[in-house]
Parts: sequence; structure tokens; C-alpha cells
Amino acid sequence: MFIEVKNLSHVYMPGTPFQVNALTEVSLGIERGEFIGVIGETGSGKSTLVQHLNGLLKPTSGEIWIEGRNLWSSKTDLRKLRSRIALLFQYPEHQLFEETVFKDVAFGPRNMGVQGKELEERVRYGLEWVELDYLTYCKRSPFSLSGGEKRRVAMAGILSMYPEAIILDEPTAGMDPVSRKHFLARVKRLHREEKATIIFVTHNMEDIALLAERLFVFAAGKLVLQGRPAEIFQSKETLEAIGLGIPVVTDLMQKIHRKGKMIRTDIFSVEDACREIMRSYREGVG
Amino acid sequence: MRSVLLDLKNVTFDYILEDKQSLRAVNGLSLQVEEGEYIALIGPNGSGKSTLARLLNALIIPLSGEVKVDGYATKVEEHRWEIRRRVGMVFQNPDNQIVATTVQEDVAFGLENLGIETSEILKRITEALDRVGLRAYAEHAPHLLSGGQKQRLAIAGVIAMRPRCLVLDEPTAMLDPRGRKEVLDTIHSMNRQENITVVHITHFMEEALQADRVIVMNRGEIAAMGKPETIFNGSTDLHLLGLEVPPIPRLAEMLRAQGLTIPMNVLGADDLVSYLCSSK
Repeated sequence: MFIEVKNLSHVYMPGTPFQVNALTEVSLGIERGEFIGVIGETGSGKSTLVQHLNGLLKPTSGEIWIEGRNLWSSKTDLRKLRSRIALLFQYPEHQLFEETVFKDVAFGPRNMGVQGKELEERVRYGLEWVELDYLTYCKRSPFSLSGGEKRRVAMAGILSMYPEAIILDEPTAGMDPVSRKHFLARVKRLHREEKATIIFVTHNMEDIALLAERLFVFAAGKLVLQGRPAEIFQSKETLEAIGLGIPVVTDLMQKIHRKGKMIRTDIFSVEDACREIMRSYREGVG
Repeated sequence: MRSVLLDLKNVTFDYILEDKQSLRAVNGLSLQVEEGEYIALIGPNGSGKSTLARLLNALIIPLSGEVKVDGYATKVEEHRWEIRRRVGMVFQNPDNQIVATTVQEDVAFGLENLGIETSEILKRITEALDRVGLRAYAEHAPHLLSGGQKQRLAIAGVIAMRPRCLVLDEPTAMLDPRGRKEVLDTIHSMNRQENITVVHITHFMEEALQADRVIVMNRGEIAAMGKPETIFNGSTDLHLLGLEVPPIPRLAEMLRAQGLTIPMNVLGADDLVSYLCSSK
């Protein structure tokens, strides 16, 4: 097991009137190379969970194991861990701070001791991945960039660390539909071609249904469901009760099914829905 | 005929970049919005939507042309007070909009600045927090709220001031499905029940389906404008504009291409289901 969470609980500000039990007794495992989706309503503990996976938060109780080693009992080099399991925060554009795009993207690998030619290579790789031209951008100030460009620089800064796992916390919020699709396609490629483990936190059911191999569903600090999207999105009522929903297309297929039509309901894309409706239609006619 | 609340004539706005070059964000745009209308403003990142929003309540003033709110021109400094009373803004990132140490004080902030008396302030706070589902959090510290709750708080702060027009710049970008629904329901009920004019900027095409009028922006200009069923029926090349047709109209279009007869005004899942299930 790559990442293992055992009985994790996290309490913010314990013993004060503001005490919040953010996570309660969560246990889960993530295999190397998996594409994991983490969903749950705002405040359900998703962000708290992922910040434990690379040691940004320390459990109130419970354990985090990375490749068979207990993160907090063994002498873990946290800085190194955070380059292996890298986290792109929500609104990463607010986290740029260096004078130039180069320095910002180089920050992570430089901290890992990477220098000279290799450092430049990594910055190039990161910027290329997010499709920002190296020569045009490397000397510019991050503050002169548009919101979308800043976000891409932040992502480049993650990729330049050559992480084994990437945690993305709502990475597409505020992107226009075409930029979002484009970004998601690249994340998918990162997973397929570079075998990166992806942990994707999102409120977008349509996107995650098409991307994730496995979903963890959180409600009120607890892991309430886990499974393949095809399994999870059959439980419309359960998901709605915890503030979530199912993809529009899946909802449509389920509604048609409920009207007595023989039709598959584990469908997430418009293309598949069209194919399945036409199949059912032709059978009905023939 | 309903009266015109927002009147933009040939409006142009430039941003000055650090190297003294200027970037045209809005280019000769003219638009009239009637009192009580619900406008969805869509367009790719950088198309000028947010700039347009800021022009509407005099946060920025046109380089040329004129923006009038209820007859008050934004370029006249003495009018700005009247304009900001009429046009309430809710921005993308709620963190930048929170000013007080408790949720109710945050809502009170704008009201106190309007010089409204205490009993009325308390009434409006309760009402506004009810509308956004945050009444139970009245005494909480805003910085401890989640992103979605903060955004609902920002909306409460604006609606408590009872503006004539709400301008919302991607208010649901960070919300979970329930939070999104609550916020959308709130905006729609303000529009329907209190006749508040809404200008709603969004990247969620489904949200635009429910507007009276959809305005598509591109490169600082209006690229297309019309009822949702006209904008999303395939006649406008949305993909070229960084946008997409929402899933249900897109599926309907694909099914039509396969030979099924589905009316052009089918925009919602329920409509499509009843059509598909009755036609066989």
C-alpha cells in the first residue's frame, strides 16, 4: 500500500468553544498509480484529510503510513515527503511569492537541493506541462500574470518537483469550460502516461465521474462511501442527503430507467448516454 | 414596458500593465438591462466579464462611453453613493470580502454604514442569514467558516442592504452541490419575489440556462445575446468562445443528429426524459 490512513481523527482547536471535529476515525488506503476522487460537502473534512497525506497536518489521533512507514513515529523528512506527495491548494494563485516565474517554479526542487542545469530542466518541464512558453514567462513577475496564468505557474511549481503523487484540491474552480476540460485532459495524461498517483478533491460530480477509478465520499468528517464511480453514483438519495449529487447525465439515465425502460444507468458522459439511448431506442423499435 | 436600470453606452475600459502598455478589457460595449431581469454573463477567462461587473457599480469608471445606473452616471463622483446603494456586488473569492469578527457583525457592517437604526439592522441580519442558511452561525467567527459558507455570508451582507440589483461574479465557483443550489435558489427568489435585477457571471453553463437572457462575452465585446434556448441550441459556436453547451441540450442535439425528433426548447433533464419516454 502506498498511502494508508488508519483511524485518523483531527480536531481543530480542541478544548476551546470553537472545537471542530474535522475528521473522525477515518481509515483508507491508496495504491500507487491510482486516480482517487475525494468528494463531500464543504466542511466535510476533505481538505483536512488531504493535508494529512503529506504531513501538513498532524493527526489528533490515528496514523498515516507511507509505503509501510508510520509518518509521525519514524524520522520522516517532511520536506522530502512534500515533494514526493505534492499538494496544489485551492486558489493556488494566491501562493506565488517569488520575483520571477522561474524562481517560483524552481522553489520546490531548489529546496530539494536541485541546482544548475537540472533545476532549469525541471522548470522547463513544469512550464511546458502547463503550456507556458519558458522564454516568454521565466523572467516575468508572477504578479503581472492573469489569474489563469498564475494558477498554471502554481501547477508548474508542483510538477517541477517530479512528485509521485499529486493532490489537487479543487483545481478547476473559476476556470472557463474549455480551460477546465483542457486541464483535466492533461491531468488524465499525467496519470496514464507518467503513472502519477492522483488524489483529486472536487465538487464537480460530472468531472470526477469520468476521471476517478475510485471515490472516497466524506460527510461530517467521516468516510461514508467508497467505491468505483459506477457504484457510488447509483446512490442518488444517499448522496443528496449529504449535500452532493450525481452527474446530470446519470440522473437522466436513472429517470428513464425508472420509467420502465431497459437502459444502463452507470453512464457519465453525453456521448455514452447518446449511444445507450439510441441502442435502447433501436431495440424498442426493432 | 419595464424601466431600464442599467444602461451602458459605447463603454470602453483599459487596464494599464506594468510595462505601461494597455490592455483593452471592454471595447465599445452597449447594453441595457431592465429592472427585474435575470442576466447570465458567460465568456472565457479574460473576456471582460469581471471588468463589466466592476463598471456596473462604479468600482471602475469607463475610459470612454457611459454607464448609468437608474439614471445616475458612474463617472459623476457625487452619484457613486446612490449607485452603490442600488448595485450590490458579490465577488469570486469570499475571503477578501469578510471584514468582521462574527458572522452577524459581518452582515451588519454594510448596514451600519448606511446609517440604518439598530432594531432594523437586527431584523435584516436575521432575515439575510436565514436566506443563505447561516442563521445557526450568527455568533461564529467568519474565518472559521468553510469556503462555501463564507460565500453565502458575503451574499447575506449584500442582500441585507436591499439593493435593486445584484452583480455576482462567479458566486458558486467554490461551492459544493448543495451550497450551489442554496445560493442559486436564493438569487432566483430575490429576483422573482423582490424583483431584484440580477447580473450573474458564471462558468457553469447549467446556471445560465435559468436566466431570462444570456450574454456571451468575448474579447471585451458582446459576442452573442439571447434567451437560453437560442444561445444553447447550437447556432452559436460556444466552443470557439471557450464555452460549451450544457449536458442536456448537448445530448438533445446529438440525439437529433441520430434522427430522433426532439423540440429545440428541451433544456432540462425532466423535459428530455418525458419526451424520450413518450415518443417510443
